[in-house]
Amino acid sequence: MNSWWFACRKLIGGIPLLFGVTLISFTLMVYFGPDLTYELLGKNPTATAIAEVRHSLGYDQPFWHRYLMYVQQLITLDFGLSMVKDQPVTELLQGAIPVSIQLLLPGFIIGNILAILLAMKAVQNRGKWPDKTIMTFSVIGMSVSFLVIIIGCQLIFSSSYGLDLFPVRGWQVHDKNEQFSWLAYLNYVTVPTIALVLISLGYNTRFYRAVLADEVNKDHINTARAFGHSDQKIYYQLLLKNTMVPIITRTLFSIPMVIISGSLLLESYFGIPGVGLITYEAIIAGDQPVLKAIVGLTAVLFVLVLIGAEILYRLFDPRMGATQK
Amino acid sequence: MADTKYLLYLSLLVLLLSGCQEQQNTPEKNTADTEKVYRHSIDGKPTSLDPIKASSVYSNLLVVNIFDTLYSYQYLARPFQLKPNLATTMPQISDDGLTYTISIKKGVKFHPHPAFKDGVGREIVAADFIYSIKRSFDPKNRASGAWLWQNKIIGLDDWKQAGADYDKDVEGLKSLDDHTIQISLLQPYPQLIYSLAMGFAAITPREVVESLGAEFGSKPIGSGPFILDQFNSEAAYLLRNPDFRQEPLDLTAEGYSAARHEGYGLEALADRSPPFLDRLEVHFINESSSRWQSFTKGSEIHYTTVPKDKQNTVLLRKDPIELHPKITSEYHHSYGMEAGFVYHGFNMADPVFGYHPDAAQNNKNKALRCAIRSAHDWQQKNRAFYFGLGTIFPGIIPPAVPEYDADLSTASIEKDLMAAKKMLADNGWQTQNLPEFEYHVTGSVLQKQFFEQMRGFLNQVGYPNQKIKYHPYPSFGNFNQAIKNREAPFFFLGWTLDYPDAENTLQLFYGPNQTPGSNNFNYQNPAFDALFEQSSTMLPSAQRTALYRQMNQMVIDDCVVISGLSRKKIHLWHKNIITFPDREIVGGFHLRFVDVQ
Repeated sequence: MNSWWFACRKLIGGIPLLFGVTLISFTLMVYFGPDLTYELLGKNPTATAIAEVRHSLGYDQPFWHRYLMYVQQLITLDFGLSMVKDQPVTELLQGAIPVSIQLLLPGFIIGNILAILLAMKAVQNRGKWPDKTIMTFSVIGMSVSFLVIIIGCQLIFSSSYGLDLFPVRGWQVHDKNEQFSWLAYLNYVTVPTIALVLISLGYNTRFYRAVLADEVNKDHINTARAFGHSDQKIYYQLLLKNTMVPIITRTLFSIPMVIISGSLLLESYFGIPGVGLITYEAIIAGDQPVLKAIVGLTAVLFVLVLIGAEILYRLFDPRMGATQK
Repeated sequence: MADTKYLLYLSLLVLLLSGCQEQQNTPEKNTADTEKVYRHSIDGKPTSLDPIKASSVYSNLLVVNIFDTLYSYQYLARPFQLKPNLATTMPQISDDGLTYTISIKKGVKFHPHPAFKDGVGREIVAADFIYSIKRSFDPKNRASGAWLWQNKIIGLDDWKQAGADYDKDVEGLKSLDDHTIQISLLQPYPQLIYSLAMGFAAITPREVVESLGAEFGSKPIGSGPFILDQFNSEAAYLLRNPDFRQEPLDLTAEGYSAARHEGYGLEALADRSPPFLDRLEVHFINESSSRWQSFTKGSEIHYTTVPKDKQNTVLLRKDPIELHPKITSEYHHSYGMEAGFVYHGFNMADPVFGYHPDAAQNNKNKALRCAIRSAHDWQQKNRAFYFGLGTIFPGIIPPAVPEYDADLSTASIEKDLMAAKKMLADNGWQTQNLPEFEYHVTGSVLQKQFFEQMRGFLNQVGYPNQKIKYHPYPSFGNFNQAIKNREAPFFFLGWTLDYPDAENTLQLFYGPNQTPGSNNFNYQNPAFDALFEQSSTMLPSAQRTALYRQMNQMVIDDCVVISGLSRKKIHLWHKNIITFPDREIVGGFHLRFVDVQ
């Protein structure tokens, strides 16, 4: 009940944040975003045609009127039609967001778990060859461009020049009866997942190693050692639990990016119709209804994640709950 | 011990990831073994599939397969030849060229949709065509094809002014009966028939458009050979229209010539009614490496144009074009020139490079433009950016149209540094007084490379580096806005022909079309305008061609444009596919004739 009350208070406290984010992003869109008018004009436009297009796009409405319309859309979750694709924005996102989640979730989970395990291994062997090896590969992973990794993975695992094991492009994860097929899903998600794990592993491992290394010298760990606890208990129960706050922060705050932003490069190169590509195209074209929806939903998700994170902080570190009183 | 455990965990993970290898290359969903599926690829993305918004080649490619147009182009004939599509014959044109009477085929039905009675597509009637043209003039629709019929059809512009009420008649658009259309013009418009083969003129059902509203652009319902099944940011999936009219393919009438088309298996299509596919997939792939890997994999896309970065792999020789034996043994290929061209243009409304009220300065500016043109090296541009495959031609009538003059002097496309320097010196231009040269483009790495090359050309005639500025825009919309607002003194653009008639490029220089119209150069030449007006009502003839060529020469003499180069595309497709691809002007009409062996 205490947590519910805490969540409600945080939710109410998030409202000004939402207004702030939407107002700033909307101002940027209106005054600095691409003007769609000149993308949509025919080949021999007149001044009247330009005015008509501007009117149909709502560009001739006062700023505050447009902003209030945006807030209304955000509350009703009805963002109208994409200005470019003639498709309801909600329909567009309903189709794309699950695809992005399916695409990125395995890589996100595997990347984080693997990084924690490697970081733990490095911390257990600080200064020794396993630590050095892991850190060297982390730096290499961080140094290689995502694009190079994607093209490399495609070449190695998918193309006829390489192992030719997986599809180069596509996302046909449903069977003949329109049912989700795990086999087909694995077929399409494996190479993007490998690419995602490779690119995130370096950053994550270094981060988690730093967090764990900082904790491993604390008094309570030394005390546990003095008590004669096993390495497994020390590292995977005591150490891990005490480093959960920064770990939760890093993982939870990545979730809105996974859900909403997707991964433009993965989706482009693997031909996956996710939300990253839709966002990119909307930014380039100045498709404001789509951008408004994505910015608004990202802000809402961040508020929710913020609340979720704080509840989890209190779970792992009761002192944080105490400071809230 | 702990090390071994972690290694085991890692191995399990790898095993899990690789477990799916066994079902690699699984056929796509819904694809029975007997289904004929063809996967086409294009290098850009369509936006709306509403015909009135089909302004890009990518949208048009899909629109002409989902909808019907009255006319289309013969599949194989080059130069491009029109043929009846939904119309029964070519139009009957009155002697004064003002009235077109067109009869349409009977029994042609729209695709099924709940907006129709019992959900079954109803028959297309003449009123559907009239409704479809009116839609381009409805201000609510953001249509981009109205320019084709603006001030051309009697009463159509007035209909728009009067509030665009679809229940009100337009004098120049009549249905004489359910299957006969009559179009009345304000003045002869020989290009009208070409406009009726464009996606903009595709026929849409009123009840479906009204039930879907603007969503019609993402859920299009037409009467074409394919029905849209799915459409997302990566691909469009279309199914065969089982009710498409039976029209056996007459290869001879479509322009088949053994010399050009033998060896592709097209003969097997003779006397069969298209479409031949059960499923057509059009994949939108910008990334050339991904497209190439998908194509060469063998089990994914069946067709691609050769990406620029793969031309070294594919080409053995450029002139004449010869492909590497490994490519020709594995794939069919063809190549063709684009129906369009790229060019640099000056904004003549800019007093620094263009027209100046002072006659002496005006002449000086013209000399400066001509010197810049002489400094420009098309051959080098062709080698650097088009792999030496482009066709360089003088003026603004490209080789793709019948009015092209192969004997025209090439002086305007030849690099002549001596002449450029002399022109500058003779007209008092020195390093100190040369104006700042701004190069306006949509920002990209490629465009920056174009700029660097242009800067190099200008350096050679004494233009100092600090006076040459790169002016990129974040999107084409912003760039276009700058041009329409006359803020770009010099720009680099491409033009894709809408129809095979040089009028389509000459109108870019017609005075009344000045910005925000299509005359981005703001070129004003009364003599040119008079010739344009005279030729605009003429049917194709030697006399009209002579007028076109006179206009072309005027633009060359005035150094308004540095033009031009028509790019060449190499098409590759798998050997089990029967097709002869060409998206120039014919758009996507060829896709209905694709078959899978």
